Amino acid sequence: MRRTPIVLAGTVVGLAGVLGFHTSPAKLTLGTVPSSTVTGRSTTTSAAPTTSTSAAGTNPPTTNATTAANSNPTTTVAKATPTTVRQTTTTAAPTTTAPPTTRTATGPLVNYYFGTLSVSVTATGKKITKVTISSLSDGGNFRSQSIDQQSIPMLEQQALAVQSAQIQGVSGASYTSAGFAQSLQGALKQLGV
Amino acid sequence: MNTSTGERSRPTTIHHREQVMGTIVTFDVYREAGISPTEFLAHLARAVNALHRADKIFSTWKAESPVSRLRRGEITLGEAPAEVLEVLTLCRTARDLSGGWFDPWAIEGGVDPTGYVKGWAAQLALEELRDADLDGAMVNAAGDIASFGGPVAGQPFRVGIVNPDATTELACAVELRGAIATSGAYERGEHLVNPHTGELDTSVASSSVTGPDLGVADALATALAVGGDEVLSLIEDIADYEAFTISHDGQWKWTARFPFARTTATAAS
Repeated sequence: MRRTPIVLAGTVVGLAGVLGFHTSPAKLTLGTVPSSTVTGRSTTTSAAPTTSTSAAGTNPPTTNATTAANSNPTTTVAKATPTTVRQTTTTAAPTTTAPPTTRTATGPLVNYYFGTLSVSVTATGKKITKVTISSLSDGGNFRSQSIDQQSIPMLEQQALAVQSAQIQGVSGASYTSAGFAQSLQGALKQLGV
Repeated sequence: MNTSTGERSRPTTIHHREQVMGTIVTFDVYREAGISPTEFLAHLARAVNALHRADKIFSTWKAESPVSRLRRGEITLGEAPAEVLEVLTLCRTARDLSGGWFDPWAIEGGVDPTGYVKGWAAQLALEELRDADLDGAMVNAAGDIASFGGPVAGQPFRVGIVNPDATTELACAVELRGAIATSGAYERGEHLVNPHTGELDTSVASSSVTGPDLGVADALATALAVGGDEVLSLIEDIADYEAFTISHDGQWKWTARFPFARTTATAAS
C-alpha cells in the first residue's frame, strides 16, 4: 500500500540538512508541527502540497478524510544527537560564519479541517523568528470561525515555542495543526531552514 | 557524543508522521545505542495499520464506515467489527469514571465514540512499538500523546502544554510517564457538548489529564473541560491519573501529583 514507509533511503540523504538546521535550540523536529517541519526539510515536501491541492476548495470533512487516508506517509530519520535535554551542548550546531539574513516565505495554500490556509515564516539565518497565518478561508462555517480565531494564534505561538523549549512534544494542539503543518513545511523549504 | 559511534546506519531518533483520522499523527522514537531502521519499520507498519483500521471502522465522516452505519441503524452492534463493542465498553467505563461528564451517548444522532477513538487508537499504535527495543516512543495524535520510556533510558519525556490564552507560548511542561491528553475551548468537537445541558460548553479554558492509558486520559480530559472542578475532584480519586486545568481567567488548578516539570518552557535550564 502507498502508506508503506519507503522514503527512508531518500531521507538518509537528507540527513545532513536536518542536522545542519539545528543552529539554535530549534526543536522543530519535535511535536506535531515540528515533525512535519523536519519531514519537509528532508525529502517529502511534495506530499503536503499535492495532498492539499487535491482536497482544496471542496467541502472539508469528507474530502479531507479520504485524502488523508490515501496520502503518502513520511518518515524522517534524524541521526542527530538526542534533540532533548542537551540542546545547549549539542555538537550538531554548526558555527555560522556568514552574517544571518532575515527573509520571509509563504507556504502553499492547503486544505485543513474547515477550509484553507497558508502560513508565512520569517527567519533570520536558520532561526525562525515569526510564524503567521497569511491567509485563511473557512468556507463560511459559522462555528469554525470562532475556533479559528482562538486556535490560529495558538499555533503560531506553538511553532515558536517549541524552538526554545526543551521538550519532545506539545499537548493541546487543535485540529488545525495538520493544515498548519503542511503549509509551514512548504514555507520552511522555500527559506532553506 | 553519538556522532562518533561509527554505527552510521543506526540513527538515535526516528520521526514519522501519518495523516489519518482527519489529522496528523506523529511518531517520535528514541534509542541512544541506535535504532535499526529495518527492524523498526516493521513495528511502525503495524502501528500505522492500527490507526488506519480504527479510522476505517470509526470515522463518522465516512458514510459507509461501520460506526456511521450503526448510527443510522443499518447494522446492529453484533454485525459491526469487534472493536466497536470493545470501544463502546471502554466508553461506558470512562463515562462511569467521569461521573457522566464524558458521555458518547448524549450526542445528537446516536452514540458517537469519536471522542474516545483517537486516544484509544494512538495507544494501540504505541503498543505495537512496545517490543521494538527502544529507549522511548511517543505517538502524538494532534496533541494527545501516548508514550513509554523517554528520550534516553531512565529519563522521562518532557511535554509542553499549550497556553490556551495564546498570549504566551506554553503554559507549562510535564514530565510524562505514559499518556497526556489536553482539551480546551479552542478545540472543536461534539465531545465538548455538556451532556447535562446539551449545550456546547466548557467550564475551563484548558484541561489536561495524564495517566497510563491515552483513551482514558482523553475521555477524562474531555469530561474535565466541561465539568471543571467537579471532575477535577473525581480524578483526584482515580489511581494513576492526574489532572490540570486553566480557567478562562487564567487560574491554574491541579491534582496532588500532577507531574509538572521542574522548569517551564520559558525558563528552561
